[in-house]
Amino acid sequence: MTDLGIHLADVGIRFEGQRDSGGIKDWIVSRFAGPKSVSDRYSVDALHNLNLSIGHGERVGLIGLNGAGKSTLLKVMARIYPPTSGTATVRGHVCPMFEFATGFEMNQSGRDNIRIRGLLLGMSPAEIEEKLPEIAEFTELGEFLDYPVRTYSAGMFVRLAFAVSTSINPEILLIDEVMGAGDIKFAGKAKRRMFEFMEQGKVLVFASHSPDLLRSFCKRSIWLDAGSIRMDGDTDDVLDCYTRTNQSAP
Amino acid sequence: MTSGQQLFADALTSCRLWRVWTFLGGQDIKTRFRRSFIGPLWILLNLGLFVGGAGVVYGVMFGQPMREFLPFVITGVVIWGFLLSSFTEAGGAFVGAEGYIKQFSYPKQIYLLRALVTYSIVLLIGFCAVILMQIVIGGFEATGWLLAIPGLALLVIAALAHITISAYVGTRFRDWPHALAGLLQVIFFVTPIMYPIKLLQAKHLDFVYKLNPLYYLVDIVRHPILTGSFAPTENYGFALVYILLIWIIAIFVARKLDNRLVFLL
Repeated sequence: MTDLGIHLADVGIRFEGQRDSGGIKDWIVSRFAGPKSVSDRYSVDALHNLNLSIGHGERVGLIGLNGAGKSTLLKVMARIYPPTSGTATVRGHVCPMFEFATGFEMNQSGRDNIRIRGLLLGMSPAEIEEKLPEIAEFTELGEFLDYPVRTYSAGMFVRLAFAVSTSINPEILLIDEVMGAGDIKFAGKAKRRMFEFMEQGKVLVFASHSPDLLRSFCKRSIWLDAGSIRMDGDTDDVLDCYTRTNQSAP
Repeated sequence: MTSGQQLFADALTSCRLWRVWTFLGGQDIKTRFRRSFIGPLWILLNLGLFVGGAGVVYGVMFGQPMREFLPFVITGVVIWGFLLSSFTEAGGAFVGAEGYIKQFSYPKQIYLLRALVTYSIVLLIGFCAVILMQIVIGGFEATGWLLAIPGLALLVIAALAHITISAYVGTRFRDWPHALAGLLQVIFFVTPIMYPIKLLQAKHLDFVYKLNPLYYLVDIVRHPILTGSFAPTENYGFALVYILLIWIIAIFVARKLDNRLVFLL
């Protein structure tokens, strides 16, 4: 596949739900209560009418305040959130790096969790077995890898997930602020590995609050504000505007 | 509503990922029996206890010859357990995979197939108990098991539809597995599992099993295993009709909820 890329046309994401749990009781009540119960529902427009095109070889930074929609946008690109309006076309194998704290089988060993994660990220079983020693080595978890992960500390989860995620060959790499994993010793090592990994990505979309990281990796940056694109252009220009606007605010 | 085309594409991708869901399903079995001393032998032991207790009592109560009745009960119970899982346990198929669904890009349908793999492995272990009993008290016939394969295929296809419906609906309404568990308990007693259909026929209660689609699913597997010949042709026919209907419902439910699923977790 040569023309990797991400194309979003008029993409909107609206979260809808009920303030209550939305169980069968509420559903039955809502059938009988008629339009009065509408006040109980809420909807949040996380993204509206986003138009965006990212082509092969591009590295794009995402910046914005908390709740601006950075993570939501990344999840749309990863095909995890289907757009509630518009269309999202993603060509290429996506490697999402979103959170390192969930998605473990608590009662299984570290090694088996490496296998599961590898499979879900698109590695073949043979590939996983081949890379397993290297991954195990990188985590520095030693004999803990044979223990069920429910005995792990938060930092150990991060090490495990990070090591697996960065061991694959990414086509489209989506990263959501995952720098600074682990303790001082691991963080330095992780940073180096992350940089190598990001160099490999043929398409990179990277959400971060760190201007330095964005400048060093991305030529182009997108500033998201309240679910819309506020600015899309050269990283230096976007970062200048972004810092000026948000720091001058009282 | 998700387009049928999209759903079909996702289903195809899921099938191609068989390595992922077979592995996950196998791991689930491992998890289930990890830290237990005799592991999967519990399935055999529990079946033995059930048949040795309830089976014997029912056999005496209904005046059945034990050599026929005990294999009949154990086979029925094993198949019923599979059906029960496909309805109730499957309600948590997506809920339990939330951590994966929100983090990885694969189509959600792999978690349905993973559930199917898990329940199928339990079913196979249960069949080992049936074979064991057939060998001990006599009546084991390899041809019967071979003839059961078409029925087994239909049973699995139907179970996948149940899993699909339960997993989607169970994510939307978390009460679903509880409600269904109660209902299925009633159905268990009106389905000829603990008693042969002859007893119903003698009381002119034929409609009790004739109108019960689950009876046909059980019978097309159980009949060949026990008798060594195919089940009555019309039973396959009714099973097929049921599969058609249940899949129409399953696809409708999937189309309705697929796009919203990740937001419901």
